[in-house]
Amino acid sequence: MNESVFAFMDEDAKKEIRRTLLKAVAIPGYTVPFASREMPVARGWGTGGLQITLSLLLKRDCIKVIDQGCDGSVNAVNIRDFIASVSGVKQTFSTREATIIQTRHRIPEHKLAEGQILVFQVPYPEVLTTVEPDTEKQKQMHADSDYSKLWVLLYEDTSQFGDSRISNRYPVEVEDHYVMDPSPIPKYDIPRLNNSPALLLFGAGREKRIYAIPPYTKVEPLKFSDRPFKVETFAGKRCGRCGADNVFLDEVRQGTTSLYFCSDTEYCDSILTEQGDVTGNTESE
Amino acid sequence: MLLEIQNLSKVYGVSCGECLDLTGVADDSCICPVCDSVVAMNRVSLSLDGKEVLGIVGESGSGKSTLLQLIYQDQCPDNGRIFYNGFCDRHGVPLNIFEASVSECSVLRNKEMSMIYQNPRMGLNYLFSAGGNIAEKIIGAGERSYEVVRNRVIELMGRLELPTSRVDNYPDTFSGGQQQRIQIAKALSSSPKLLLLDEPTTGLDLSVQAKLLDLIKELQKEMGFAMIIVSHDLGVINHLTDVTMVMKHGCLVEYGLTDQILEDPQQPYTQLLVSSIL
Ligand SMILES: Nc1ncnc2c1ncn2[C@@H]1O[C@H](COP(=O)(O)OP(=O)(O)O)[C@@H](O)[C@H]1O
Ligand SMILES: [Mg+2]
Ligand SMILES: [Zn+2]
Repeated sequence: MNESVFAFMDEDAKKEIRRTLLKAVAIPGYTVPFASREMPVARGWGTGGLQITLSLLLKRDCIKVIDQGCDGSVNAVNIRDFIASVSGVKQTFSTREATIIQTRHRIPEHKLAEGQILVFQVPYPEVLTTVEPDTEKQKQMHADSDYSKLWVLLYEDTSQFGDSRISNRYPVEVEDHYVMDPSPIPKYDIPRLNNSPALLLFGAGREKRIYAIPPYTKVEPLKFSDRPFKVETFAGKRCGRCGADNVFLDEVRQGTTSLYFCSDTEYCDSILTEQGDVTGNTESE
Repeated sequence: MLLEIQNLSKVYGVSCGECLDLTGVADDSCICPVCDSVVAMNRVSLSLDGKEVLGIVGESGSGKSTLLQLIYQDQCPDNGRIFYNGFCDRHGVPLNIFEASVSECSVLRNKEMSMIYQNPRMGLNYLFSAGGNIAEKIIGAGERSYEVVRNRVIELMGRLELPTSRVDNYPDTFSGGQQQRIQIAKALSSSPKLLLLDEPTTGLDLSVQAKLLDLIKELQKEMGFAMIIVSHDLGVINHLTDVTMVMKHGCLVEYGLTDQILEDPQQPYTQLLVSSIL
């Protein structure tokens, strides 16, 4: 490996990924194969997202990395440090300041803006594997926009449990054609994919797939017309640090009681800062 | 006219180009002597009216299943055309279903026609519940209201005399006859205009067969769909059909009103068939 190359990968490799990204952007929600390369992190630890990030990086970029909403977790720190060390770009915790945000399992609470790029790390890019193991048939089903087998799962869950049992990786339909796996984000984040001003990119390193949702694209969860799409609610609960009650909360068990904290740690910090309390401990679980 | 089949041929194997002429009833074979290809369908033409019930009889390997699969677009022909009433291109010109795109054909497969396979394993998904199997076709036809789907599933199960309390159970937990009824409920869920049945009662107990055939006949009268039913049982043909075609080695041997075919067959092969089975 040539350590002197900007952003770790050679220009040809980056170019190939950018070409794949262009195709993905041109066909929203369609998974495009790419030649996933070895990265200095194990496959399954965000190598797909990492390759996208590195291929897009410019010297003027400012990078943020979160793992389940947290900038400070070991995985997020390692990936962010690596990106900074091979490119020299600025690092940040601030959602607003970042130009590229690489994420696992969450969309930041602060609304993203035009020009920003959110890169999702994806473990399982193929939404149809649960209902159709044959990859040739999967391709045909995507081409025909034939997702009735996914609908049957929804029908069966609704019949037996009153609602879909899918808690994360909820299938979404993009621009009325392709149905895709949004990566393991909670249902809370699903409506936030719709009409996003930011470019959303998805990378699966192990499965060698890239897909995209361009800015201002229609994204809707698969749901029956006479059934509501229910997201996680935290009725009456608020963050134990900043007091926010309109965000996705993580539950932390302490003995017999439960404490709740913002899953997005930077959002939590920014609320505290606004309140003038800058002494708040930034490392909540 | 609901269905118009013109000069349909299907060869399995790499054809030498002469297969169609070198095989057939006169040659007493469907295997080409030059290239060993199997001629499963040899220049068959046929038409079917709406609400008409057509029976197909013939020995095993004569091409009966192939014909149904071609109509249902499970297979592609080597030659020939099929026109379906109202199936046109965007200028209103009738469109050969084999020249249409997959998405253009999906309305034929999801709404206009339904296939019932001899083995319910071909027609049902055993990872889905009985209700889920029926729902799949209703959803495939475009329905997106849960209540509408659910009510239609239960209504169809009731109509097929299946226990509606078991709507969420899996096909494996039903008897063979019941699994065939689930397949029929699924097939009828889109209110098709043409039902294709490939030996739907073969393998079932005789008493179960009789009941199922009566039910199919009743449903056909009530819902008014046309039907093509393959059977090697002339009793079934006699009981259900208006017209009958006799097949041998991929060729159409004789075609006519069922009564006439069974009582006064013209072709020697049909005469043999009728006398040996009845
Ligand atoms: N997929 C296939 N590949 C090769 N030969 C086939 C295939 N399907 C059918 N055949 C052959 O085509 C002929 C007609 O078959 P089929 O239509 O199944 O007859 P039937 O239903 O009248 O018993 C048979 O000789 C059969 O062996
Ligand atoms: Mg057959
Ligand atoms: Zn908070």
